[in-house]
Amino acid sequence: MARPGARSALADLAGALVPLSAQRLQRRVAERLERIPNRLNEFGFDPYGLSPEWIQRLSLPAVLLYEYYFRCKTYGIEHVPPGRVLVVANHAGQLPFDGMMLATALLLEAEPPRIARGMGEYWIPQIPGFSVLAARGGTLVGTPENCTLMLKNGECVAVFPEGVRGMNKLYKDRYVLQRFGLGFMRLALETDTPIVPVGIVGSEEQQPGFANLSALGRLLGMPAFPVTPTFPWLGPLGLLPLPVRYHLHFGEPMRFEGDADEDDAAVERRVEEVRAAISGLLKRGLAERSGVFR
Amino acid sequence: MEKVLITGIAGGQGRLLARRLRERYEVCGVDRMPWEGAPRGIQVHLVDIRKKKFEDVIRTEQPSAIVHMGFIRHFRTSPRERYDVNVRGTKQLLDHCVAHGVKNLVVFSSSYVYGAFPENPFYMDEDAPLSASRSYPEIRDLVEVDTLASAFLWRYPHIRTCVLRPVNVLGYYVHSMIGQYLRERRVPTVLGFDPMMQFIHEEDVSDAIALALEQGLQGVFNVAGPGEVPLHTAIRETGGTARAIPEIIMRPLFVQLFRFGVIPYPPGAIDYLKYPVTVSGARFAEATRFRPLFGLEEIFHSVRR
Repeated sequence: MARPGARSALADLAGALVPLSAQRLQRRVAERLERIPNRLNEFGFDPYGLSPEWIQRLSLPAVLLYEYYFRCKTYGIEHVPPGRVLVVANHAGQLPFDGMMLATALLLEAEPPRIARGMGEYWIPQIPGFSVLAARGGTLVGTPENCTLMLKNGECVAVFPEGVRGMNKLYKDRYVLQRFGLGFMRLALETDTPIVPVGIVGSEEQQPGFANLSALGRLLGMPAFPVTPTFPWLGPLGLLPLPVRYHLHFGEPMRFEGDADEDDAAVERRVEEVRAAISGLLKRGLAERSGVFR
Repeated sequence: MEKVLITGIAGGQGRLLARRLRERYEVCGVDRMPWEGAPRGIQVHLVDIRKKKFEDVIRTEQPSAIVHMGFIRHFRTSPRERYDVNVRGTKQLLDHCVAHGVKNLVVFSSSYVYGAFPENPFYMDEDAPLSASRSYPEIRDLVEVDTLASAFLWRYPHIRTCVLRPVNVLGYYVHSMIGQYLRERRVPTVLGFDPMMQFIHEEDVSDAIALALEQGLQGVFNVAGPGEVPLHTAIRETGGTARAIPEIIMRPLFVQLFRFGVIPYPPGAIDYLKYPVTVSGARFAEATRFRPLFGLEEIFHSVRR
């Protein structure tokens, strides 16, 4: 076993190899994490397994992607209010880089900084390694109980009501919002939570899908099997997204009143309003940008 | 002074509870094992709760309250014997309560009855389904005991029945499976998993049972401790070293090792090393003003090797 002295020397060496700009970014993340109120116990974990120490260490790849790969730009992030809030966005791009960038934006740019609580699929806790990363980063299994718990704790919950329908949409359907789930609206009504619509421009071109061989995906135990210009032809390398520029457009908070147990039609009308708001943000974002990579 | 009868009084938790209750109650108990050096005034009867002799004890002692914790929780006995003691024993105990005018009953269950699943929400309340049998068939008898007791609670409202489901109990005296697990030098874990786990100190558990008795509490209650940590943190804090094993190797290995009696942990227990089973103790805290006295560090220290 390495002695403590040897280990810290190794850590120093590793630290020296990280470029200066990355170190600066890490410090910025640390400063912002410190400003986020949380309920940590004496061992550094919140009741749901989140650890700011882990976030600080693991966020570096996300922050580097945010700054240098996708070169993200955010608009109107000041609309995110302090306290409980549901951040609702479009979802696309085969791999959830959009969720990663949204969370990074909320950490780096929102005032006060926020940790986006993800509401994950049931398979996330079943994947070795990933289950721990997700928990330490603040993602929970997306049961209604968990979401209610988070909102009552005053957290910022990020949801993608398009779900896998959006994630695996084809290139020809880019920026066409798929059917929205209704769950988030019922929770917003139940907990009286403002909704901030977000239109993410860029993600829908990062991995243009030409076909989705869902039968083959099922056979392999995957939620989908997309065919893109690079996947599966280049193997795992084909999972790499194009260096598109991300534009994250945050809309004004929307407040809804009503009974959480109303029938679907009544809830759907309100969901349509959110969907229209996101659609509007996307339209604006697409009109304002001068190119996919610019 | 009212009289309390404790089943399983010679076990670690039973002894602690007996000592704790001695100040306010006349205490007696039954167990299949003797309690060497039991304090004076605590009458311990060596009987099997399935036998007729147990009813004789209740008839002569005439306890006004019973705390039922005489379960077989380990897997050294045959599954058939275990099931018989736990389920049939409980069934008969419940019948005796009705027949002999017992006024108060506390049944010591566990939060394990909810089962470990990836879709478990955090901090489940008492209305969450008892699904442990689905993935952990080895403890389906304990789930059945909980169900029996809960049904009894509704059927005989004049007997004040309380079912307690504490989180992982640790301490110097108590022989819980999680305690045994954390006391290993090299603690096997599942590679890539590190679920949140709640812990409570054995003394606080005794306090919780005493509170339930004193207040004649009626209902089903989770009993949560001071907090929760990831499994690997618990292992480190209790002085062990985690040995992560890929699940694909661990499952078949544990099946064989358990079958030949090398390890005391049945394969069904592996899921509890993967997924969190966390419960909300809010209902119990509200009803009894229960606050755990022992913090996490003290709890871990109590089982430190």
